[in-house]
Amino acid sequence: MADPLLSAEGISRRFGPVQVLFGVDFDVRAGEVHALIGENGAGKSTLMKILAGYLEATEGTLRFAGRPYGAGGAEDLGIVLIHQEFNLAEHLTVEENVFLGRELRRGFLLDRRAMRERAHQVLGELECPVDPAARVRDLSVSERQMVEIAKAASRDLRVLIMDEPTAVLTKSESAVLFRLIRRLKDQGVAVVYISHKLDEVKEISDRVTVLRDGHLIATQSTGDLDQDAMAQLMVGRAISDMYPPKDPPPADAPVVLSVEGVTVPGWVRDASFDLRRGEILGFAGLVGAGRTELMEGILGLRRRTAGTISRDGARVRIRNVGDATAAGIAYLTEDRKGKGLLLGKPLRENLTLLALGRFGRVLIDERAEEAALERAVRDFDIRVRDPGVPAGALSGGNQQKLLLAKTMQVEPSIVIIDEPTRGIDVGTKRQIYLFLHDLARRGIAVVVISSEMAEIIGLAHRVVVMRSGTITGILEGAAIEENEIVRHATGLKGTDRNAVVSA
Amino acid sequence: MKRRLGVISAAMAGLLLAPAVGVAQETVKMGVSIPAATHGWTGGLNWHAQQAEKELEERYPTLDVVLVSASDAARQANDLEDLVSIHNIDALVILPFESAPLTDPVRQVKDQGKFVTVVDRGLTDPGIQDLYVAGNNPEMGQVSARYIEEKLGGEGKIVVLRGIPTVIDNQRVDAFMKEIEDSNIEVLGMEYANWNRDDGFRVMQDFLARFPEIDAVWAQDDDIALGVIEAVQQAGREDEMFILGGAGMKDIIRRVMDDDKLVPADVLYPPAMIAEAMEITARHLVEGEPIEKEYILEATLVTPENAEQYYYPDSPF
Amino acid sequence: MQSSAPDTARRPSAGLDLKVYGPFLALAALILLGVLVNPVFLSPGNIINVLTRTAFIGIIAVGMTFVITTGNIDLSVGSMAAFAAGVAIVAMNALAGPLGSGWAVVLAGVAVALAFSLAAGFLNGILVTKGRIEAFIVTLGTMGIFRSLVTYLADGGTLTLDSTIRATYRPVYYGGLFGISYPILLFFAVAAVGALIMYRTPFGRYCAAIGSNEDVARYSAIKVDRVKLLAFVFQGLCVALAVIVYVPRLGSASATTGLLWELEAIAAVIIGGTMLKGGHGRVWGTVAGAVILTLIDNILNLTGAISVYLNGAIQGVIIIVAVLLQRSGASRR
Repeated sequence: MADPLLSAEGISRRFGPVQVLFGVDFDVRAGEVHALIGENGAGKSTLMKILAGYLEATEGTLRFAGRPYGAGGAEDLGIVLIHQEFNLAEHLTVEENVFLGRELRRGFLLDRRAMRERAHQVLGELECPVDPAARVRDLSVSERQMVEIAKAASRDLRVLIMDEPTAVLTKSESAVLFRLIRRLKDQGVAVVYISHKLDEVKEISDRVTVLRDGHLIATQSTGDLDQDAMAQLMVGRAISDMYPPKDPPPADAPVVLSVEGVTVPGWVRDASFDLRRGEILGFAGLVGAGRTELMEGILGLRRRTAGTISRDGARVRIRNVGDATAAGIAYLTEDRKGKGLLLGKPLRENLTLLALGRFGRVLIDERAEEAALERAVRDFDIRVRDPGVPAGALSGGNQQKLLLAKTMQVEPSIVIIDEPTRGIDVGTKRQIYLFLHDLARRGIAVVVISSEMAEIIGLAHRVVVMRSGTITGILEGAAIEENEIVRHATGLKGTDRNAVVSA
Repeated sequence: MKRRLGVISAAMAGLLLAPAVGVAQETVKMGVSIPAATHGWTGGLNWHAQQAEKELEERYPTLDVVLVSASDAARQANDLEDLVSIHNIDALVILPFESAPLTDPVRQVKDQGKFVTVVDRGLTDPGIQDLYVAGNNPEMGQVSARYIEEKLGGEGKIVVLRGIPTVIDNQRVDAFMKEIEDSNIEVLGMEYANWNRDDGFRVMQDFLARFPEIDAVWAQDDDIALGVIEAVQQAGREDEMFILGGAGMKDIIRRVMDDDKLVPADVLYPPAMIAEAMEITARHLVEGEPIEKEYILEATLVTPENAEQYYYPDSPF
Repeated sequence: MQSSAPDTARRPSAGLDLKVYGPFLALAALILLGVLVNPVFLSPGNIINVLTRTAFIGIIAVGMTFVITTGNIDLSVGSMAAFAAGVAIVAMNALAGPLGSGWAVVLAGVAVALAFSLAAGFLNGILVTKGRIEAFIVTLGTMGIFRSLVTYLADGGTLTLDSTIRATYRPVYYGGLFGISYPILLFFAVAAVGALIMYRTPFGRYCAAIGSNEDVARYSAIKVDRVKLLAFVFQGLCVALAVIVYVPRLGSASATTGLLWELEAIAAVIIGGTMLKGGHGRVWGTVAGAVILTLIDNILNLTGAISVYLNGAIQGVIIIVAVLLQRSGASRR
């Protein structure tokens, strides 16, 4: 078997008194995809940053082609880390981003033409249909990711480290990414692949390394493991019943929210649906189908030009989130970091921000806030050593729990939750599913928007499918299965009228 | 029009200028460029310029005065270009923000055949100007020093508040220091107060805290002096010292008139000089009256005896 | 449920948080320097002088702390102060006839200053929120407007308060309680109320939330525009309070009144540990920052050791060092 291209021996890392990695060994060979899995907080990100030279190891050695290297030299060796949050200059063009910091020059001037040609060539090799002259801010998430990879591939790329690359991609976009990874692999690039999605890991990787609580648990050939085994290694026990059994409300449960003919210019046309007490209503569709925009339109976060909204049969005016909150509707954004939490502020201030009026009229009752935080940490199992840390220091899963807790402070009777488990580990995912299930059982109506098919199928009592801004179908009962949803989502089936499909 | 014709003494330097060519019937345009009203003295300057504009245009129907004010040297240079190219002036009366940066812009105006009157702050090349009207900064320092020396009997401790670091300030302070060189007057401290009341108040408060014994304050400027007066009164030390300002602000002249022990005198450096310059220029252009090449205003000492003739209650300054 | 590892995140530095205590350390160092330079520095007279002087900038800077915390800025405060002072003086002089020269006319002047400053703050706020113009541009514009209005009002010269009214009004600056002047008392009252609002009321929390991330604020049901508008109005109120104690000092206002106060107020806020980009306000830090700024000046005036030509350089160095002190402690991750 080939010698490893990159190897790490006995890597430990401490942040102050806290040790997050304990003597981990890891290696990756040229032309291999090596997956790294583990729950949030297992130390994957830290290990990855050490490999890519963003962080120094407290102990241990890193070797590239047998020679030791330090944190400073990683980039020159062709080791590239692609973050979950992209590292692109939004206002620059694709080609400018690809060559950022190492622009081609002719004398003192930039050689624009050479850069454009080279960018075109690289993108072409990656079969990536992005215009080099387009501005990054106009690109979709998956296109941005392509640009990141092109940026890496345009230099001498030897090791590519990817952190949850498919978290923000649709299935078909993921398929394009996988083709790309395979091509890089064929060119002899070593790929380190971090993901929570075990089916993908199974599909794309050659070997799997599992981390748990900063310790190396196993490194095995992917062929020797099935998904259940991987999950077991990650959490240290068997996971059964990912989704709690469905418990739909009685057919005569009252309609608590009725949306009629809502249009959000540029995104959604004439959308109508009903939501019943105690129901979990799934919203499925491809990325860009307008699901988020529909909800934001309902909440008054986007301008809507038509449509009415009724609560318990009575029309309500909702112009902003304040009105929505007053109507008992709460919304959890999919953009946790950009719109959900103040990353620089402590947990307590985040928790009570939406419901601050409930914590004292003139002066804020900080004791009540502390008590609420204690309750939230307990009820939502937010894992944090020191509640005084800023929210940005929490892992994705704990941030999501905090956001949930924040939303529940206003005691809503309708909860709209957008991509509830994006970028979250298996264990936390299950906690969130249980929680949503529990909400519904307590009579709260829940809307779940998700791009993960399994999640929709596993959770929802009914499913609304959207395509290009219109509702193409509302599925019930046995009709809630993958094929049916995909057909509606891609336009193979369904009408502009909201036909109820049940089997 | 209220002006201080009495203070003019034409220094007979250079030739009498011949009458300007027969211009009497045609319209004459006179551009006036001065610094914007950013402190008391320039405020007075703007007021007097506006008064002169009104009066001259009334007196000479063929005269058109274009008055512009600028808040820094670069803008003043732009103003000059506009005066020539847009207004097509025949004569320029300018009180330059600073000497050196404006010398060349004024030279350009001159090169296009315009009559140039420079006021107060001389250009680095005096050959450019046709007429120069100015206060006498070194003399102002000298007169101030002489008065303080005399009043203190040649011996005592004083503090000095300076203006804004400029040529004018340097000329005044240098002449002042030279004059007291041989006396027994000790300058305890010297700080910039930027020709500003608030700064005068602040600097004087600190001087009062720092020096237990002060016999006199040379504030150099009446705005500064007003701040100093407040600080001294606050400290309750008005019997210990006297304050000498400068310029001829009506509030200060009033105090001198009223025999205020704290402000026994003032030294003139009148902003009305702009009106003088405008009038002389206008007379020369319109009536063709011959003029001197230089008019230097004396730094007159104002005391209770002569204060009344320098008191102008209507002026904003 | 079980078992992902607890988050490893911790507070950046558990010990002495320089971001919080930095301004006060810098202040202490400066006081020490003052004592070394001249023992007069610690005399009660000098301390009262310095704090009284600080009051104007300090009161305005407390308001600025809120504006900056919301991620905005107000460049117009200096000329707003000059304008309010000018209008108040004109009003008092005009009302001296019907109201006499007693406290009635002074109160009328105070009311005028308040009305004008609040209106000016409201104007800034409305232009920023409803007009959707950057605060920098809006307040740069109103800065010029207020400044030239006061110049116009004064005919380019100086507006002077009628001397009999001034005699009534004078104690507001020069008088005090228990040897502490009224401006100082007002300054600390404003700071205390400001701190209470910033740290303990929903409004303060909302200001910080908007400054850290406006989207999050919007998604959290905060009326972003209203909070920003109120911050500008509060700034106007602070300007008015500063004007009320400023006018009796010299009894005048001119085109130079309040010149560069905006920069001093902003500097005080930043030295105090508030980030210019918003999101976190420190009211007591601002108080320390304002005192630091006046102290530098005071110390330089109390020594003859440094050429007066270098005053500006010394000020610049001290300001930068003071900020460096807190940032270097905070920037390590």
